[in-house]
Amino acid sequence: MLFKSRNFDTAQVALSAENLVVDLPETPGRPQVLKGIDVTIRQGETVCLVGESGSGKSVTSLAIMGLLPQSLKVAQGRINLQGQNLLPLTQAQMRELRAARIAMIFQEPMTALNPVLRVGDQIMEVMELHTGLSAAERRARAIAIMEQVHLPDVPRIFQSYPHQLSGGQRQRIMIAMALVLEPVLLIADEPTTALDVTTQKQILSLIDELQSSHGTAVLFITHDMGVVAEIADTVYVMKHGEIVENGPVEAVLRNPRAEYTRKLLASVPGLTPRPSRPSEQEIVLKVDRLNKIYGSRGFLKKLPQAHAAKDVSFALARGRTLGIVGESGSGKSTVARCIMRLIDPSSGRIELDGQDIASLSRGRLWPHRKKLQVVFQDPMRSLNPRWTIAQSLIEGPLNYGTPRAEALAEAARLMGVVGLPKDALTRYPHQFSGGQRQRIAIARAVMMRPDVLVADEAVSALDVSVQAQVLDLLDQLQRDLGIAIVFITHDLRVAAQICDEVIVMQRGAVVEQGPAAEVLGAPAHAYTRALIEAAPGRDWDFQNFKAMNEVRDANPA
Amino acid sequence: MSQTPRPASAMQPILRMIRLPQFGLGPRIALVVLLLIVLVTLFAPWLAPHDPLKMDPLMRLKGPIEGHPLGTDNFGRDILSRVLIGARLSLLIGIATAVVSVVVGLVIGMVAGFFRTADAIIMRMMDGLMAIPSILLAIALVALNGPSVGSVIAAITIPEIPRVVRLVRAVVLSAREEPYVEAAIALGSSMPKILIRHLVPNTLAPLIVQGTYVLASAILTEAILSFLGAGVSTETPTWGNIMAEGRMFFRIKPELILYPGLMLSLCILSINLLGDAARDMLDPRLKKRAG
Repeated sequence: MLFKSRNFDTAQVALSAENLVVDLPETPGRPQVLKGIDVTIRQGETVCLVGESGSGKSVTSLAIMGLLPQSLKVAQGRINLQGQNLLPLTQAQMRELRAARIAMIFQEPMTALNPVLRVGDQIMEVMELHTGLSAAERRARAIAIMEQVHLPDVPRIFQSYPHQLSGGQRQRIMIAMALVLEPVLLIADEPTTALDVTTQKQILSLIDELQSSHGTAVLFITHDMGVVAEIADTVYVMKHGEIVENGPVEAVLRNPRAEYTRKLLASVPGLTPRPSRPSEQEIVLKVDRLNKIYGSRGFLKKLPQAHAAKDVSFALARGRTLGIVGESGSGKSTVARCIMRLIDPSSGRIELDGQDIASLSRGRLWPHRKKLQVVFQDPMRSLNPRWTIAQSLIEGPLNYGTPRAEALAEAARLMGVVGLPKDALTRYPHQFSGGQRQRIAIARAVMMRPDVLVADEAVSALDVSVQAQVLDLLDQLQRDLGIAIVFITHDLRVAAQICDEVIVMQRGAVVEQGPAAEVLGAPAHAYTRALIEAAPGRDWDFQNFKAMNEVRDANPA
Repeated sequence: MSQTPRPASAMQPILRMIRLPQFGLGPRIALVVLLLIVLVTLFAPWLAPHDPLKMDPLMRLKGPIEGHPLGTDNFGRDILSRVLIGARLSLLIGIATAVVSVVVGLVIGMVAGFFRTADAIIMRMMDGLMAIPSILLAIALVALNGPSVGSVIAAITIPEIPRVVRLVRAVVLSAREEPYVEAAIALGSSMPKILIRHLVPNTLAPLIVQGTYVLASAILTEAILSFLGAGVSTETPTWGNIMAEGRMFFRIKPELILYPGLMLSLCILSINLLGDAARDMLDPRLKKRAG
C-alpha cells in the first residue's frame, strides 16, 4: 500500500474556499496574490498544498486563519468553515474561532512557542482563553494531550521551557496545543521543514495518527513532494497564485495533467545513486584523522567539551564529488569549515595537493587559499549586499594580483557560463532571486580556479526546480574544469544525485564511508539505513511517475 | 529582476538622511534651526555688533537698547555678541568630541569585535573608562594642565569612547559571522581589507546616530563644566561661561542666563530630534529588507 486511497466523497465538508482572490490594494495595478482558487477539505481528509516559494500557499493558509498582513486583502470569494462564511466575521469573532475550530502549526516551533513560559502552561493557556474549564481540569487535559503526542516523561516536559526540548519535541508541543481544543481543521505550514529526516518521519506519522483518531481535517502546506507522497489524500499544486492541478495523490503523482506538475515532479532528485564514474588517480584533497573539539579551554575550570569531528579521514580525487551527509549536529559543517580553515582543527592532517594545511599560519596559508573555495547555504547572505556583482566576483583575483581588466573580463565570461546576463555585473545582490544569487556565489568561487570546491548545503535553501539547475551547473563546471567537490548535505536525494562517494556522519563520527552506490544502495550501518528509511516518498520514483518497484521490475539490472 | 536599482553603497545611509521628503515636520524644523545656528556661528565675527570682550562700565546691565539688541551684562559687554561668539567654542568642542570619539571608538571597536584574543582585554579597559565621570575627569585634567580647550575635549571624549566601542563591537561581532565575510576570507582578502571594505560599512548607520547623541551630550557637558568653572578659562565666552557669570545677576537680569540657555536648548533639541529621525530611518528593524 503506497498511498492513502481513502474516499471522502461522502464525508462532511470541513472547509471550502470558493473563488478566493487576494490582492495588494495599495500597490499600483492591484496585483493578485491569489487568483481565484477553490479548495475543499473534508472531515478526516489530508489536503496537501504544494508549490514553490511565491506560489501563494502560505497566503492561502493565512487567509483562512484571518491573519493576512495589512497590505493584503481578500478581494473576492468565500471561505466556509462547516458552511459558515468566515470573511464577514469581526476580529473578535475570528479570535474565538482560531484555536477552538481552526488551529495552526508552523515551520519553526522555537519561535512559535513563548521562550519564557513553561510549555505545560502554554498548553493550559489555550484552554484558559477558549474554555471555562477549571485549572485542575485544564492540567489533566494538557497532560492527556501531551501523552497523545507521545512525549516521553510528560511530568518533566510539562515543567520544561522550550529551549530545554529538542526540535521534534517542540513540534509535538505545538501539535498538542493545536489539537487540545479538538479543532475542525488543522493547518500545518511546512511543519517538518526545519526538522531532521528521522524526526520528520515521526512527526508525519504522529499527525497521521492523531488525524485518524480525532477525525480532524488537515491542510498541509509543503514544498516537498516526498512529504506529499507520504501524507496526502488529496493534492493541490499551486503556481503563481493559481491552482494548476488537483486530485487524489496517486492520480497526481502517476498521471500529472498539468505541464507544471510534470516539471515539478521531474526535478525531484531520485534516491537511486548515480552511476559511478571512472576515477582519476590524482588525489587533490586528503584528510587524515581530522578532529575538532570545542570548548576545551576554560580559564579556571575545565569547560564541557564537544567533540564535533572525530577522526574523519577521506581522500578526494580530481573531478570527483564527495558527499558528507548527516543530520543537524552530526559535525558535517564542522568538517567543511576545518577544511576551509575557517576554524582551526584540533588535530589531524589536511593535505591539499600534497601540502598539509591543517596547521599553517594565516600568512603561510594564504597561497593555498585560492585552491579551496566555498559556496554557502544562504544565498541571501553570502554576497555583500553593498557591493555590485562585479566587485564581489573580482575580489579574490585582485587579492592574488590579477589585473582588474583581466578579472572583469573573466567575470563577464563566467556570467555567461552560469547563465546570467552580462549586465548582471553592474547590479546588486538584492536584484536577483535566490537561485541566481547561488549561481553568482558559484561563479565567485570558480573565478579563483580552485582545485576543491566546498559546497555547504549549497542547494538546501532553493526550490526544487532551481535546485536541479544549480546541481546541473555544478556538474557541468566539474566536467569542464575538473574541480573536486566536497558536498555537505542533509538531503539524501541530492547526495544520491551528484556524489561519487559518500561519508555518513553521526554525532561527529563517520559511521559509514564508501562509493555512493554502495552506501546508499546497500547501507551497512543501522544509522544509514534509518536515514534512508526516513526519506519521505522513498518508494516512489517521481521522475518516472511510477513506484520504485515498478521501475525495478521494468528494467532488471 | 525588474526592480529599480537601489544604491546599496556605503554612502547609502548618508544619502538616505539627506533625502528630505522622508523627514517629518519636527525633524525638518530641527534641521532648519540647526542650520541657522551653524551659519550664525560660522559668521559670528561678522555678525556680532561688538567685541564680546570689550567692557563698558557706563553701559552695565542695560536692557535692550539701540546698539545692544539683547542688552549688556554686568561688565557692560554686549550679550548678543557674547552669545554668538560663545557658540563657536561650544560647537567646536561638541563636534571635536563627536568626531574624535567616533573615530577612536570605531578603530578600537573593530579590533575588539574582530580579534577574539584582543576582545576581553579591550572590553575590560573600556569598562574601566566608563566608570570615570567626565566632570571629575575634567576637574582633574584642568587641575593638571590648567583650563584649556584640549583638556575639556579630552575630558568629555574619554568617557564617550567606550559607548562607541561597544556599539561598533556589537555590529562587527554579528557581521563577521555573515557568510560573505567568511567567503572573503576564503578568497584570500587580508584582515585590514575585510575590516575596512566589508565590516566598516555595516557600522556607519548606527555610528551616525550615535554621533548625534555624542554631539548633543558633549555640548551640554561642556556647558556644565564651564558653569562649574572646570571648563575652558572663565574669560573665554562659551554658553556655559556666560551662564555661570550671569548666575550672580540672575534676579536683576534673567536675560544673562536666558539667551545662552535658549541657544543651548534649541541646539541640543534639534540635534536630538535629527538623531532620532536618523535612527528611525536607519534602524535595520524598520528598514525594508533587500531582496
